[in-house]
Amino acid sequence: MDFTLKTFIFYGFALLTIASALAVVTVRNIVHAAFALMVTLFGVAGLYVFLQADFLAATQVIVYVGGILVLILFGVMMTSGRLEMRIHIERGQLLLGGGISLALLMLLLTVIANTPKWENLTDDGTAFAPTTKRIGELILKEHFLLPFEVASVLLLVALIGAALISRKEVRE
Amino acid sequence: MSLQHYLVISAILFSLGIFAVLTRKNAISILMGIELILNSCNLNFVAFSRFVTPPENIDGQIIAIFGIVLAAAEAAVFLAIILAIYREFGSIRPDEVDTLKG
Amino acid sequence: MVVSLISIILLCPLAAFAIFALLGLAKRNFPRQDYLSTAAMLVALVCSFLLLWEVVPKPEPHTVDWISLGKITFSMGFYLDSVTVIMLIVVTLVSSLVHIFSIGYMHGDPRYPRFFAYLSLFSFSMLFLVVSDNLLGIYIGWELVGLCSYLLIGFWFEKDSAANACKKAFLTTRVGDVGMFIGMMMLFARFDTLSLYGDNGIFTRITNPEYLTADASGIFWLSIAGVLIFCGAVGKSAQVPLHTWLPDAMEGPTPVSALIHAATMVAAGVYLTARMFPILTPSSSLVIAYVGGITALVAATIAIVRFDIKRVLAYSTVSQLGYMMLAIGAGSYVAGLFHLTTHAFFKALLFLGSGSVIHAFHAMHAHHDEEHANGEEHKHDDHSLVHAHGSEIPSDQDMRNMGGLRRKMPWTFGTMLVATLSISGVPFIFSGFWSKDKILGGVLGRAMEWNSVHHYVLFGMALLAAGITAFYMFRLIFMTFFGEPRNQEMHDMAHESPWVMVVPLLVLAILSFPVVNKWWFNKDNIIRPEQPHIHAPQHAQLGPDTKIDGANFGIAFFGISETEAAEEEGEKNTKKADDAYYIHKLAHNIAMVLSIVVAGVGILLSWLFYHRRRFSAESVATTFRPAYNLFWNKYYFDEFYDGVLVALTVWKSRLFAKFDLSAIDGIVNGVATITRQVFAAFIGFFDNRVVDGIVNRVAEVTWAAGGRIRRIQTGAIQTYLFVVLGGIVLIILIFRAL
Repeated sequence: MDFTLKTFIFYGFALLTIASALAVVTVRNIVHAAFALMVTLFGVAGLYVFLQADFLAATQVIVYVGGILVLILFGVMMTSGRLEMRIHIERGQLLLGGGISLALLMLLLTVIANTPKWENLTDDGTAFAPTTKRIGELILKEHFLLPFEVASVLLLVALIGAALISRKEVRE
Repeated sequence: MSLQHYLVISAILFSLGIFAVLTRKNAISILMGIELILNSCNLNFVAFSRFVTPPENIDGQIIAIFGIVLAAAEAAVFLAIILAIYREFGSIRPDEVDTLKG
Repeated sequence: MVVSLISIILLCPLAAFAIFALLGLAKRNFPRQDYLSTAAMLVALVCSFLLLWEVVPKPEPHTVDWISLGKITFSMGFYLDSVTVIMLIVVTLVSSLVHIFSIGYMHGDPRYPRFFAYLSLFSFSMLFLVVSDNLLGIYIGWELVGLCSYLLIGFWFEKDSAANACKKAFLTTRVGDVGMFIGMMMLFARFDTLSLYGDNGIFTRITNPEYLTADASGIFWLSIAGVLIFCGAVGKSAQVPLHTWLPDAMEGPTPVSALIHAATMVAAGVYLTARMFPILTPSSSLVIAYVGGITALVAATIAIVRFDIKRVLAYSTVSQLGYMMLAIGAGSYVAGLFHLTTHAFFKALLFLGSGSVIHAFHAMHAHHDEEHANGEEHKHDDHSLVHAHGSEIPSDQDMRNMGGLRRKMPWTFGTMLVATLSISGVPFIFSGFWSKDKILGGVLGRAMEWNSVHHYVLFGMALLAAGITAFYMFRLIFMTFFGEPRNQEMHDMAHESPWVMVVPLLVLAILSFPVVNKWWFNKDNIIRPEQPHIHAPQHAQLGPDTKIDGANFGIAFFGISETEAAEEEGEKNTKKADDAYYIHKLAHNIAMVLSIVVAGVGILLSWLFYHRRRFSAESVATTFRPAYNLFWNKYYFDEFYDGVLVALTVWKSRLFAKFDLSAIDGIVNGVATITRQVFAAFIGFFDNRVVDGIVNRVAEVTWAAGGRIRRIQTGAIQTYLFVVLGGIVLIILIFRAL
């Protein structure tokens, strides 16, 4: 494998993603965890770029970092007092959860390694083609129109539902 | 940068998300774990779309977009529920919210 | 016409009773129940006379089907022949007169309306019995008259003696009725019907020669059935040995004694026996004749020594009923029924006359009561007063308190004298002579015709009884009406009864003369039914001539001279005017002479003993102490029943009670104890320990398991996630391993 700049950057993003994800699950301070999550999301966005998904990478940054993460931070602020900022972890639970996670990881890696069909599928170096136009056509004109509309209804429902749940009881 | 690179990254992210969901004692941390899991899924979709299907086929990316949409909706509802739970129980520790205990 | 007349006869008294009963439900009385009941009986009387013209020589029963059980149908119906109509007239006539008499006699009784209602019910029952064409109907009427008898004997139930007497009467007749019922069932089993007449009736069937020849045991069973049915008559007609209830029945009001226990109900037994005449076989006939003869003699001897005027008459009734039974048993069917008729009139007259005498003394008691009470005391209270004095015989019925009443009560005396002459058999102008003579002649004739020792013996008994009858009846007359008053106080109070009581006495006295009855009697219709099973013994070879008794009956009752009758008979039976006829003719002549002789002797002795006091009854009694004791104690029948039957029953009951208490109760208690102590304890233990234990263990295990298993349900979502994911890992590992 040749270590080109591209390769180097790829590994850099991969490492960044994994390391920050590890931080998300390990740091005690939840605000730190939130910021670590932000880094992870950025890393994933970078990986999308490597996969020639430019629109998706942008969406990842905008929606996740700009929306969801802010939402999470709001949640942290609204629910946690200062003392609650720290995350308590029990040892037994930690070991058991770690065991199960590790087992899943091992299973997944085994599957990945032992699936011949997936071997040697490398980046064929095809030219980058912007996807935004194509995505717009698929969503608004072709066969993803219905899922798109359903998703929009879902968002609406989630919006109203969230507002309804989170608001305080109103006396009749 | 073969498919397997992405898959391994995705698997690690997934496992870390599961770990967070299983072990964290804060509902928002659990949400973060869930976000990690969703990201690993999206990453998988995009990777398979890139390497397995023909280049002009970008259905995987579309699915990933929907996944993001779902994540957004889920996060909103999740946080709303957390707020409601917090008002009800004064805590968002999942082991303290055990009214359904047998 | 026949049916409607009979229906009227039956319904009138029934309606009178029904009105009383229905109003009784509303706790009210018809204002004049006495007039109502009397009127009903008078209507029935008129209808009975109208029926005289409806009698046909060969009557058919008028029946309707009543109950159908499978193939067997019980019918109800009327049968009207000359015997029925005679019985109807007798019953309605005596009943009407007794009703009228009771208006005076029962006046002032607290249950005055009820008395008349009972009389009406009785009349209905008796008439129903008489007109029924089948054994079932007869049995129904039979039991109904028994019920009425019970009610009326116990009419003054405040008196212990009356209450006991009615129970005794009911139970004693029940003994006979059971026999009768068995007899009926035997007939039913053989003939599948209880109807007597008609094509399918028992009487028609037994005359069928096939019946005689087909079944050798048929006649034997018929004899048994006949005797058993006669048992009913023994009970109801107070024949030995079931006669003891009738004297005690005199505790009832005297009109009741006259109607039920002299004229009608007790004659029902005779009537039944006469009705069943065709099925009587030689053996059962002989049994009946002997029972009748013994009864006649035994009751007559007991009557000699009684002092209670009503008891004398009661035993006299028993004796006369024995005569009738003897007549029927000896085959003198017509004579028996004839005596029934004449006896009904003169015995009712005697009872009503005695009632008149008693009523005279009642009045004295009432007077006494007025002196020291409020005058509201009632008749039955008088009886208890009398009993309180310790005398066995009520003082107003004790002939020793009477005497010389003929001047005080001339009408009563005169009418009773007529009746006494009649019952004693004073010849020629009194009905009793003729009927009794026919019986004696019939028995003697049968004896001579068959050359039968049995019938000679029976004739002797009947003749002796006839003499004794004359003796004790005149003893009654002499003690009551002649001589000097023995109890001056009572004598002073005595008085003639009111007209309402005297008129019935007069009517009955007139009816005691045979000439008077001539116009309502049609002799040709009295035909003795055939007795297919009675054949003369071989040496006699003479079938009994059905016409002979009929002819003599006519002679007797209508006062036709014997030569007239003989000529008539001779014309009718030119062929049959053979030996049998002359034997019977001769027998009747002999019997007539003998009966006149014994009656004369009896009356003469009575006159000497009780009027002229030539002999002392007491000295004779002392001389024949054992016989006197026997008579005085009524042959110890009551003592026998008390000492043997009652004691046996009580002893048996005690034994059974002991058996019940020890054995049955012991078994029951033992079983109960075993059940309770062993089975129940075991089952209880099993239930408590095993069944409950299983249930409880299951519950406890479930509880405990639930207590443990519920901890899985922590409510913490992460626990669930652990399980889910751990499960996924496990499943994948397992499938990979496979």
